[in-house]
Amino acid sequence: MTMRMTRRNVLAGGAALLSYSMLASSALSQEARLRLLWWGSQARADRTNKVNQLFQSANSGVSINGEFLGWSDYWPRLATQVAGRNAPDIIQMDYRYIVEYARRGALAPLNDYLGSVLKVEDFDKVQIEGGSVDGKLYGISLGANSATMLVNTVAFEEAGVELPTPSTTWEDLARIGAEITKAGKRKGYFGLSDGSGVEPLLENWLRQRGKALFTADGKIAYDANDAAEWFAMWAAMREAKACVPPDIQALDQFNPDTSPLSLGKAATSYAHSNQLVAYQAINKDKLALSNHPLIGKDAKGGHYRKPSMFFSVSAQTKDPELGAKYINFFVTDPKAAEILGVERGVPESAAVREKLAPTLDELGRSALDYVSGLGPLAGPLPPPPPSGAGEAELALRTVAEQVGFGQLDVKQGGETLVNEVTQILSRG
Amino acid sequence: MAAVQDSAVAIGAGARGRPAAQGRLAALWTNHGAGYMFLLPWLVGFFGLTLGPAVASLYLSFTSFDLIRSPEWVGTANYVRIATADPKFAASLKVTFLYVVLSVPFKLAFALFVAILLDRGVKGLTVYRAIFYLPSLLGGSVAIAVLWRQLFAGDGLINSLLAQFGIEGPSWISHPDYSIWTLVVLSVWQFGSPMIIFLAGLRQIPTDMYEAASLDGASKFRQFYKITLPLLTPVIFFNAVVQTIEAFKAFTPAFIISGGTGGPINSTLFYTLYLYQEAFGNFRMGYASALAWILVLIIGLFTAFSFLTSRYWVHYDD
Amino acid sequence: MTDATMSSITAPPPSTNGRRSPLGSVLVHAGLIAASFAMLYPLLWMLSASVRPEDEIFASTTLWPSSVDFASYVRGWFGLDVSFGRFTWNSLVIAVLTVIGNVVACSLAAYAFARLRFAGRNFWFAMMLGTMMIPYHVTLIPQYVLFLDLGWVNTILPLVVPKFLASDAFFIFLMVQFFRGIPRELDEAAMMDGCGPWRIYWKIMLPLSLPVLATAAIFSFIWTWDDFFGPLIYLNDMNTYTIQLGLRTFVDSSSTSDWGGLFAMSTLSLVPVFFFFLFFQRLLIEGIATTGMKR
Repeated sequence: MTMRMTRRNVLAGGAALLSYSMLASSALSQEARLRLLWWGSQARADRTNKVNQLFQSANSGVSINGEFLGWSDYWPRLATQVAGRNAPDIIQMDYRYIVEYARRGALAPLNDYLGSVLKVEDFDKVQIEGGSVDGKLYGISLGANSATMLVNTVAFEEAGVELPTPSTTWEDLARIGAEITKAGKRKGYFGLSDGSGVEPLLENWLRQRGKALFTADGKIAYDANDAAEWFAMWAAMREAKACVPPDIQALDQFNPDTSPLSLGKAATSYAHSNQLVAYQAINKDKLALSNHPLIGKDAKGGHYRKPSMFFSVSAQTKDPELGAKYINFFVTDPKAAEILGVERGVPESAAVREKLAPTLDELGRSALDYVSGLGPLAGPLPPPPPSGAGEAELALRTVAEQVGFGQLDVKQGGETLVNEVTQILSRG
Repeated sequence: MAAVQDSAVAIGAGARGRPAAQGRLAALWTNHGAGYMFLLPWLVGFFGLTLGPAVASLYLSFTSFDLIRSPEWVGTANYVRIATADPKFAASLKVTFLYVVLSVPFKLAFALFVAILLDRGVKGLTVYRAIFYLPSLLGGSVAIAVLWRQLFAGDGLINSLLAQFGIEGPSWISHPDYSIWTLVVLSVWQFGSPMIIFLAGLRQIPTDMYEAASLDGASKFRQFYKITLPLLTPVIFFNAVVQTIEAFKAFTPAFIISGGTGGPINSTLFYTLYLYQEAFGNFRMGYASALAWILVLIIGLFTAFSFLTSRYWVHYDD
Repeated sequence: MTDATMSSITAPPPSTNGRRSPLGSVLVHAGLIAASFAMLYPLLWMLSASVRPEDEIFASTTLWPSSVDFASYVRGWFGLDVSFGRFTWNSLVIAVLTVIGNVVACSLAAYAFARLRFAGRNFWFAMMLGTMMIPYHVTLIPQYVLFLDLGWVNTILPLVVPKFLASDAFFIFLMVQFFRGIPRELDEAAMMDGCGPWRIYWKIMLPLSLPVLATAAIFSFIWTWDDFFGPLIYLNDMNTYTIQLGLRTFVDSSSTSDWGGLFAMSTLSLVPVFFFFLFFQRLLIEGIATTGMKR
């Protein structure tokens, strides 16, 4: 008897919870409701939610329902919801995936709202174009960042070597790396992370040679010789112990917690400027942002300011104009800008940037200074990566590991990489 | 006609528990109805929730489906590509076979050994059992990735121990020759589930059999060999089949430890991880579905083979 | 005859402790303790990571933190928009309902497969095993669409209702194997006494299967507790998140993660499952003996 009672109680409790959650969702459906999905941490969520409240109080009758997830959980959930025709109204979009989603018709074009609802006239024109696919605008950049080399300043100092500067070349860096390793101030410590599999680093290097990763029509834009030379440069650095051995490099999943820098294995790592905060949080030593090295004394840098992420409006939304209105508020409202800081990248609006600068903390300030101080090192924005770019990135990483572990020599590595990427891109 | 009459009579008779021959017939009839009555919840779930999506994925395997646009019929193109032009299919299948062959026997042997050790009055066995089950509580938690790096990275615990013997080990977890082993160790480390099932099986063995055997002077080893092992075969069979299926389908360990890449150099590219990359990373759900159904075929063949051979070594009491 | 067989099955196993030599006993315990440490090391590391400074978690390889600080626990519990208490409650509700659903529905199906003879039994059994073999990633989207049409998305129904419909073939198969191990004379004798299949199921099968039912309960609870993919897809509102989803919210590989919070809450999240395990493992061990006493 008692057994039965408890079981009934549990069931009743479950039923109560069910009806509660149903009520909660139906009560909201009376007003205009926007669902917003983004990836990020709680820190980003805190800022975003505050902006949502601002927007709600400025627009009565609108409620914003924000959901967020970590990067790796974000994509399967988004894909499932889009496939199930239950997509959120506003989608945070990455430069890598905007082509995939836009070409397949999952995103709503925003051109009609330019100038009316979307007041982004003072945005960097190039950055606005970065959100365009096949001539239509599908995403508004939430901030710019740039590829960067993170440097452990303390380790550099201990080894008695100079910090990299805008005129540092790859040759210099290889020497510096070897010196840090040789100084042996820390146990099992190397000068550099092995960047041979890091796509933005390769891209930077290629751009300095007048090449690129992909052409505008989505084909490979470098050849086997380029790739072989790239691998050869890194093979020499591995040989000279300027960078970490391949098995340590293979720990790196290109995120803060697995990078050789954070693991206390190397004094540099390669990332994007808006990630400085994340890296610094788990590193004891002071980190600094540095540009990527030059291929020669006279070379021009291969950097560019990249939209770190977009807000896009779903093609399945009932009210795309409201979505555009929200995005406009998010990127242009001064109060919103102050709340958001540079957490998603350096704001694209010149006016917002100016207002923001004095309110930033030290790390935010370095990120802002870095991106706006690239000067001649920064060139034009390449076209958004084509369909299959994600697979191509993984291919680079795998081939770089094959070369690193000695399964392929540098020449074979170059050929394999170009073949694989060509195949991936042709499959689309 | 006569049979129908017979069974009709038998129902009436069986209900009152009369003659034996008719009773058996009654039992036969009741069992048909009763069988489906007992199976009803499962049947509802099977037809209502499971079958539809399964058939849908089978259909999708003959299409090109990018998750967003409507699927497009492509006939057997996906299967043809898998068979002829996909090196990653072969690579991932190899990794998966290796994982199955290495992890299942080790895990089962270890689980059985510990279960037998813990079943027989060791003092404090509740504590040990709980401790040994703890790792399995973690499941596929994100924390595992970090924990495993602490053990198997270049300066991890394992290499610190090896250093005591003057051996300088590589970074096991990120070396293409060894990384699969760290996943095998992870699988064996989480041996709690088969252990518990073995324990439950050991508990169900009637103790009077041991008593009789001891009275006959049978040694403990002989008791194990003649009583424990045969009576445990249904449970051993279950664990072997289920663990094999699970190992073929393993996804989470490789996903969290390699960060979803299956690296280094595809050395941890489990079949389902590749399938996941194709489905959600590369927007090829149709192709992924074809991969999935090939896996179903492979697992199905293994399982059918296990069931066919089971009649020679699994002892049921019915 | 029934009673005689029953009591012999239900007697607790004899202790063999007395027969082991003291030296052997010491060796066994030494081995077990060493194994325990190997089992526990990663968990101890996690515990230590939960109280050490964030910038020390990844670079340090020792177990001992340089300083101890419980701030991660507070931050982890309250740091997200929804407190961990809420996640724990959500996980508990889903896990408990799953346990009930699995034990009830799977034992019914298992009894049919193990004991009843009916047309198509082998076919359905093969179908049931077949459902175990399909990787869930490819049935996910059709299933999502199905649940969306039913209006179940963003409720716990997609996670719970299938369990009441015996969707987890693992448990059916598990119970089948155990039911088949119960001597057939028992139900034959009961049938002679006029018992129908329901009474046999209720009076013989279930009481004699307490160990396997406890096993099913333990696994159902723990696996539901650990599951994140189902909740990730079906629960959108953070108020409905489970513990695993909450934990994953601490980590974003593209930006700042709260590692201290992750390890602190991971440690805490083990507590309820551990107690559930302790409680049910008692059933698992004493199950048969207590049944005997009740009779």
